[in-house]
Amino acid sequence: MSGPKETPQGASRYGMVIDLDRCNGCGACMVACAVENNVAPAPQRANDRNGITLLRVFPMRNGRDYPESRQVFVPMTCQQCDAPPCESVCPQHAVEFDWTTGIVAQIPVRCLGCRYCMVACPYHARAFNWWDPEWPEGMESTLNPDISTRSRGVAEKCNFCHHRRQVARERAAHEGREVREDEYQPACVEACPVGAIVFGDLNDPDSAVAKVYEAPDAFAFLDKLGTKPKIRYRSRQEWVHAMARQGVPEKEVTRG
Amino acid sequence: MFPWVYGFEWNAGTVIFLGLFFTVVIVILTTVTVAVVRSLRAFAQRKHHAVGWEAQFEDLGREARPCRHQLAGETDQRYCRHGFECKDCDFHRKMLDVAEGEAGDAPDRYFHRGHAWVRPETDGTVTIGIDDFGAKVVGPRARAKLPRIGRRIHENGTGWRFLLGDDSVRVLAPVTGEVVAHGGRDEGWYLRVKPLDGPFDLGHLLQGPEVRPWMEHEMARLLRLIPKDCHSDLTRDGRMVDDVTAHCSGLDWDVVCAEILLEP
Amino acid sequence: MDRSIIPRGLERAPLGKFLLWLLPWVLLLGFGLYSAYLCLRYGLHQTNMDNRFAFGAWIFLDLTVIALGAGAFFTGFLLYILKRRELKAVINSAVVIGFICYSGAVVVLMVDVGQPLRAWFTFWHPNVHSMLTEVTFCITCYLTVLAIEYLPILLKNRKLRQIPAFLVFEFNLHKVMYVLAGVGTFLSFFHQGSLGGLYGVLNGRPFVFREAFGIWPTTFFLFIISAAAAGPSFMLLTTWIASKVSGKRLVTHYVYESLGRISGYILSGYVLLKTADTLFWIRDTAPSLGVHPASFFANQPGYTALHLLEVALFGFLPMAIFLTKRLRARLGWLVTAATLTCLGIVVNRYVLTIQTLALPTLPFAEVLSYVPSWQETGTFLMVIAYGMLVYSISFRYSNLFPQERELRQG
Repeated sequence: MSGPKETPQGASRYGMVIDLDRCNGCGACMVACAVENNVAPAPQRANDRNGITLLRVFPMRNGRDYPESRQVFVPMTCQQCDAPPCESVCPQHAVEFDWTTGIVAQIPVRCLGCRYCMVACPYHARAFNWWDPEWPEGMESTLNPDISTRSRGVAEKCNFCHHRRQVARERAAHEGREVREDEYQPACVEACPVGAIVFGDLNDPDSAVAKVYEAPDAFAFLDKLGTKPKIRYRSRQEWVHAMARQGVPEKEVTRG
Repeated sequence: MFPWVYGFEWNAGTVIFLGLFFTVVIVILTTVTVAVVRSLRAFAQRKHHAVGWEAQFEDLGREARPCRHQLAGETDQRYCRHGFECKDCDFHRKMLDVAEGEAGDAPDRYFHRGHAWVRPETDGTVTIGIDDFGAKVVGPRARAKLPRIGRRIHENGTGWRFLLGDDSVRVLAPVTGEVVAHGGRDEGWYLRVKPLDGPFDLGHLLQGPEVRPWMEHEMARLLRLIPKDCHSDLTRDGRMVDDVTAHCSGLDWDVVCAEILLEP
Repeated sequence: MDRSIIPRGLERAPLGKFLLWLLPWVLLLGFGLYSAYLCLRYGLHQTNMDNRFAFGAWIFLDLTVIALGAGAFFTGFLLYILKRRELKAVINSAVVIGFICYSGAVVVLMVDVGQPLRAWFTFWHPNVHSMLTEVTFCITCYLTVLAIEYLPILLKNRKLRQIPAFLVFEFNLHKVMYVLAGVGTFLSFFHQGSLGGLYGVLNGRPFVFREAFGIWPTTFFLFIISAAAAGPSFMLLTTWIASKVSGKRLVTHYVYESLGRISGYILSGYVLLKTADTLFWIRDTAPSLGVHPASFFANQPGYTALHLLEVALFGFLPMAIFLTKRLRARLGWLVTAATLTCLGIVVNRYVLTIQTLALPTLPFAEVLSYVPSWQETGTFLMVIAYGMLVYSISFRYSNLFPQERELRQG
């Protein structure tokens, strides 16, 4: 259940800022995310609607004609809301808000696969395992040993590469020191060739992310819904802010 | 779900939600248990015939259960709600008080509204048969399946069954007792029954002046079951024919017998 | 043999004809079972659902079926608690229909979830704040109640009642039935409500989010009222269909009229509240979530039309028919109005489930549409076939309409 329970002293609150003016839509973050999180190769019949994309880069256009037409790329993933709508709807606590990190975790072995969380999420950031995960012969050896694979019939989502935090903490504890900021960074952040993504602990005023989190050109998507996302986006283009504020685009595209 | 299950938290939401859930579960279980226990008790106390009769009685049409005091012309239209058990009926007691002192001689035959007659014998046993009206509705083609000697019959339980082809219909037993003898088709299907404890109580059976109006009532009931164009075929020389259902095409033996013999 | 099981005094088609009637439904059931098997064996990619259409045709149809099955609880409530005696004529049929609708919905839900074997987790580790938990608990308990309520109808079969134990148990069960009717009303009430709440609480979906009274959004109450209105209408419709198919008079016109009148009264309340709710959503709720309400409909003329249809054609019109004494006297009008009311429920549940998911929330996402796959359709047809079979068999061998016998004798 969300709502401030006991937030432990010295708890972290991880957040992210993505600079849309820097993102060139290369998709390296998507690839890194899938590889890092042991996402199985999509079956032949999968499409972009039923594949597993924990992070997805969408193009956002201003809908005008040349020469006013403008476009940015929006890497969209779980916004790690402080008031996650997916958490309260889960009938059996398969979604958990971690008060020590602020990360919304999906626990696949508890998940019934009812997909109510996916309906509840306004960011379309959740994916369902419509297929049995299968890796071609020999490809199992490329699996990341730090994160389990998921069976079919359960929902999953980004968790800020939470396993990387575990690894970093173990190593730091072994060496008897604190975790350094650069030791825990999600795969997408590392993969971004233009450094558009900044990640870190928002509770640490010295972190890189805290410094840009409150920047005047930073904004959150759908902030009026009251979900309190911890991912913010930056852009100096006014139309981007305008579109982010207004939930529904002026011109709708139907597909199906 | 339970406090000892991993992840359980004591908070208002949990207490209210699970409190309601367990209440509902307990109510459902209790309700079913009550029904089961009552049923078992009915069997243990050998009341299951009475309960079964009560269950069937509710399914009988109102016309099938006229009050004896209506038949005797002592009251307006009135339907029995006590399974013909007059000793359970306050109205009957009241009517008896009014009629006190008018008791005549004990009649030699008593009638159950299910068309069984009862004749007390001098040795304390009774003879039970089906009355003329009932016999003509059932007809001579039907075969009776009488209980074996030594078996018990229970008041308002099954006395015996009439069978015709695949169909069967039961005759309500007018009294409780042990079968000591019975007679076959030639003797007109009868049972000789000995009481279990004490002499028979025949107070719930129709007698004397009640019988004739009741027969008229039953005749009217029978005619309602039968298509109008058939009515004339039912009598010959001023007497009712021996096999009512055989004289009218499209008339279902099973349905007519069940209606007249009060099997819903 | 078959004849001796058919209730006495009821006329039923010859066994051969009856089996011929069952045949297509048996075939459909077989096809449905195969569809469901494919989904369970190979996974939900057999459906056309996807990450956006995480709920699809199954949830939409489940919600509809449950609403139509509300006749069971509502008729039971009116008969046993409010003592509307005339409804005794349809209570058995209502219980059978309720049982079919609820058990059918549960079967489809079991195919719908990705990991059916984990269904017990909801009971063992319930998140009491989730509407889906409420739905799960209520549907399970109520299905149990319906099964118990179905039992007497079964035990009263002509052959079974000759067994004294059955007759005695049936009698004693019937004596306590009002308790079960009460519990059933309570459960069904919350079940219908929480199905509405399922959507109303989604603050991430401005299209369906509604302000709450206490802990329940307005959709919680609207679902209860609409189901209570549709339940009697569906009873009217199914009784009429059963009567047409079997060629028998099953209930007196007074019963049809009574069902229609009840539907009409509740419908009038529903139309009023639904209108108020929509206006409030347009004025307050949607803007407070940063959404211009018109934006949902701007480029979707069909959506606006559906909303108008739901309230005007499928709400106000049947209500007017039901509440007009002269029209109520004609069975044709009653059936028309009942059909409209049931269609209204279909549209309402469609808008809430399918449209909500079709509409994007993010400014760069697209409006999507989806068509169910044949496996999805087949699985649902399985429930229809199952329902037809159970109802047909119950109708033949049980006394679903106590008035039928009297009406036959004239």
